Amino acid sequence: MFLNAWSLALTLTSLAGIVLGAVACRTAVRVLRHWNPASDSERQIRLEGEIWLSSTLVAYGLGFQIVSLVLFVLAADEFCKVIVGAMCATGALLANGFGLPALLVKMAGVFLYGFWLVLHQLDIRSESYPLVRLKYLYLLTLYPLMATDFALQTLYIAGLKPDIITSCCAVVFGAATADGANLLNIASAEFLLPLHYLTMALLAGVGGVLLRRRQRWLQALYAAGWAWFFGLALVAITMAISSYIYAMPYHHCPFCILKPEYHSIGFAIYGALIVGAFLGISAALVEPCRRRVGLEGVVAIYQRRAVQLSLGLLFLFALLTSYHYLRYMLLGGEG
Amino acid sequence: MLIELDAVTKIYNQGQINEVQALTEVSLAIAPQTMVCLKGPSGSGKSTLLSIIGCIFAPTSGRATIAGKPLARLPDRFLTVHRRATIGFIFQRFNILPALSVADNITLPLLPLGVSPKARRERAGVLMDQLAIRHREHFPAGQISGGELQRVAIARALINDPPIILADEPTAHLDSRLSRDFMQIMADLKKAGKTIVITSHDPLVTEHAAIDRVIGVKDGRIDVS
Amino acid sequence: MNAIIEKQCNILDYALSSLWRRRLKNGGIVVVFAAVIFLVASFQLVTSALTESAGRVLAAAPEITLQRMSAGRQEAIPLAHADRLREIFGIRAVVPRVWGYYFDEVRGANYTVLGVAPGMPQAEGLSNAVANETPWPTGAGQVVVGRAAAAALELQPGKLFSFFRPDLSLKPLEVAAIFRSETELVTADLIAMPIADARDLFGIPATHATDLCIYVANPAEIATIAGKIAKILPDTRVLTRPQIQKTYQVVFGWRSGFASVCLLAALAAFAILAWDKASGLSPEERREIAILKILGWETSDVLGLRFWEGIVVAGLAFLLGTTLAYGHVVFGEAALFKPVLMGWSVLQPTLHLAPQVTLKEVLLLLAVTVLPYLAVTVIPAWRAASVPAESALGG
Repeated sequence: MFLNAWSLALTLTSLAGIVLGAVACRTAVRVLRHWNPASDSERQIRLEGEIWLSSTLVAYGLGFQIVSLVLFVLAADEFCKVIVGAMCATGALLANGFGLPALLVKMAGVFLYGFWLVLHQLDIRSESYPLVRLKYLYLLTLYPLMATDFALQTLYIAGLKPDIITSCCAVVFGAATADGANLLNIASAEFLLPLHYLTMALLAGVGGVLLRRRQRWLQALYAAGWAWFFGLALVAITMAISSYIYAMPYHHCPFCILKPEYHSIGFAIYGALIVGAFLGISAALVEPCRRRVGLEGVVAIYQRRAVQLSLGLLFLFALLTSYHYLRYMLLGGEG
Repeated sequence: MLIELDAVTKIYNQGQINEVQALTEVSLAIAPQTMVCLKGPSGSGKSTLLSIIGCIFAPTSGRATIAGKPLARLPDRFLTVHRRATIGFIFQRFNILPALSVADNITLPLLPLGVSPKARRERAGVLMDQLAIRHREHFPAGQISGGELQRVAIARALINDPPIILADEPTAHLDSRLSRDFMQIMADLKKAGKTIVITSHDPLVTEHAAIDRVIGVKDGRIDVS
Repeated sequence: MNAIIEKQCNILDYALSSLWRRRLKNGGIVVVFAAVIFLVASFQLVTSALTESAGRVLAAAPEITLQRMSAGRQEAIPLAHADRLREIFGIRAVVPRVWGYYFDEVRGANYTVLGVAPGMPQAEGLSNAVANETPWPTGAGQVVVGRAAAAALELQPGKLFSFFRPDLSLKPLEVAAIFRSETELVTADLIAMPIADARDLFGIPATHATDLCIYVANPAEIATIAGKIAKILPDTRVLTRPQIQKTYQVVFGWRSGFASVCLLAALAAFAILAWDKASGLSPEERREIAILKILGWETSDVLGLRFWEGIVVAGLAFLLGTTLAYGHVVFGEAALFKPVLMGWSVLQPTLHLAPQVTLKEVLLLLAVTVLPYLAVTVIPAWRAASVPAESALGG
């Protein structure tokens, strides 16, 4: 279903990312082969200049990836109007086997390109650029992810079969793939909500202690906590919280909260969650860089800021996800 | 010493067919609050020497320490950061952007430092008053006289209050009156605590009373003759 | 944090002054880019407005429409079929409908003739669509005509005209009212008359109808009931409203997508122009960048400068292009693209479209226009930022 404005937009965005990524990888290969900080040769000076090109390309790539992620979900919401049995974006994503994997790969891309940019920002703060080789090796591993993203997205769009009336048999029985109950059916709301809040409280606690007493194991625990919470929060939003936002007990779609009729609150919720998780996890991932020349202070500052910001975003996330539930309970709703 | 070069060599396009050795084993030391003139014909390596002192690029070999910072293989980013805090440049043709106003030209170095518009105006105002060009504050720089342009160039070089001023053939396109005015301002700056390095072969500069030392540069080496 | 924001504001300020200093070149890019965005946005706005209009119109359509098929072609459906349907639980009402196409040889136009029975569910919608709140005519031979049909047949209220029956005898009709212009999308070629007159005109006996409108109590049950009907009446075609809606969506989406692919050529040409303009650094620009770098601007600061220049150019072009597109669609009736989207009909409704410019639409347009522009200009921007500082030295 490529002849469609949304498909074209998605394809263009991904293609732009692929092309820019290829140029960045070319720099990566050249840096890994010829990088010699002690040299004053023309090539070394050129490579130092190309570092700015690659970092700009990855920054653009991250921006495009975020746009692509949002576009993908919005496109699924449009596609559902032409796919049999699909009532909303969830149904459209489940229309073939490539939809959800494409979405998950896109989300992973946001995190992974972001990590590269964090590494780069730390690297350029030391006069010896100690993370150059690590950075560019990492960059080369990101390219297959980009290619996978593009492939999955293309296969998804190609596999979509819009439902149109045929000449004789117009009754087509679509599978009931409408709501999130098909997407996820892991646990009940009664179990998920308390776990969700307990995890948030624990995470806030660990973060608070970490700000007072920096310990490596606490840092790792905090990051692991965020990784766990990210998955849990997505499940909780799908299985429990979204219903309160829709005020409909059987509507469990995690994507409809992005729609204007719900004040697009999904953007704020997912934005707080994704950025918070990114900061919380990256704070621990940069720990090994502390040992590198000139990075001790820089990494420490980043870690502290990242933990502070992630705690702030956790609080915001808690507010946003609790509002509808609390409002419902206060207005006399049953649990 | 504020500026120390020890056996500094600079080779362009090293290892390639168009390799050029611009400086060979240059050593010199410049104390603070002095005014030094680098004198030599074109192609002698003066500009390269000025670029190394000006933290534009690092030497190929040898040690260069400018305002306490060794430049050996510093990446361009750190050279730039050090340069903007340490060096004020006055170019041969002043290199003022004619379409920008006088005030905007002077405050160009402050933009990437995140200095607010109000603070920029204040700092530029002080310098414009000192150099008597305040009445030209909002004029496009392309419409002011040669003498005023010279002062704008000086104000821009001073906006970050750097300890070192580098002037590259500053009087090459000026008449003798303006050249004398320029040297007077340089002398005043030296008295105020600045260290000044001027490249020139203009006698009005090389023979000026404020010049503490004239260093000859020839074929990439210090000319001791 | 404040210093970072202040720095970006400073660089943005310089970018604006830089763009203004080269306003001819940058103005040209803005104009051409805006033209490309205008084309793409017009298509997108028209498509979404048409599908939204169709959706609103179809909301009043019956949940299920039953047609009799014979040898793959539609035939009149016996009313006896309606009795068989009463055994299905969940069906609220079964209403026979008589309608068809009348071909006007002289003008080459097809009019849609609809027989309206008092009390049928469409009657209220139709009577709301009549101009000047004229009451729905009930007299025999009295018709309500759509604007395009009225224009083609040169009709106004009170005028008499005739159509041919299948046996070539003439059937006299009188125009009682004209449909309102706001409903043109569906009523443009419509001639509504009492059901008895429609039967008479097409020669459909009282025991048959063109199709059966089936109204269902619970919309969630449409597919299930449709399945049951298909089992009971195997010689029929069962059309559900969701399917008709999706078909409209697909058709408009396909046409729009096809046109968008053609517009990709324009986008590609613009991308090449943008690359060329961004790559071509004049000696003055090179000098300016070298001066900035010697004065303490890092490569990343110059990259930031070029980025903001790109954003401003793209932003201006986007605003201009989408505003013009909105005007083109709302006030100009999408005159440039009507033939692509509306098909070959002789009778075409005047389009009174009110496209909604939502965040979704804006993001879509940004992704198709602005993002490719930014992607194309990033490498030239880096090349510009890589101008060596030492080139500012010397005369």
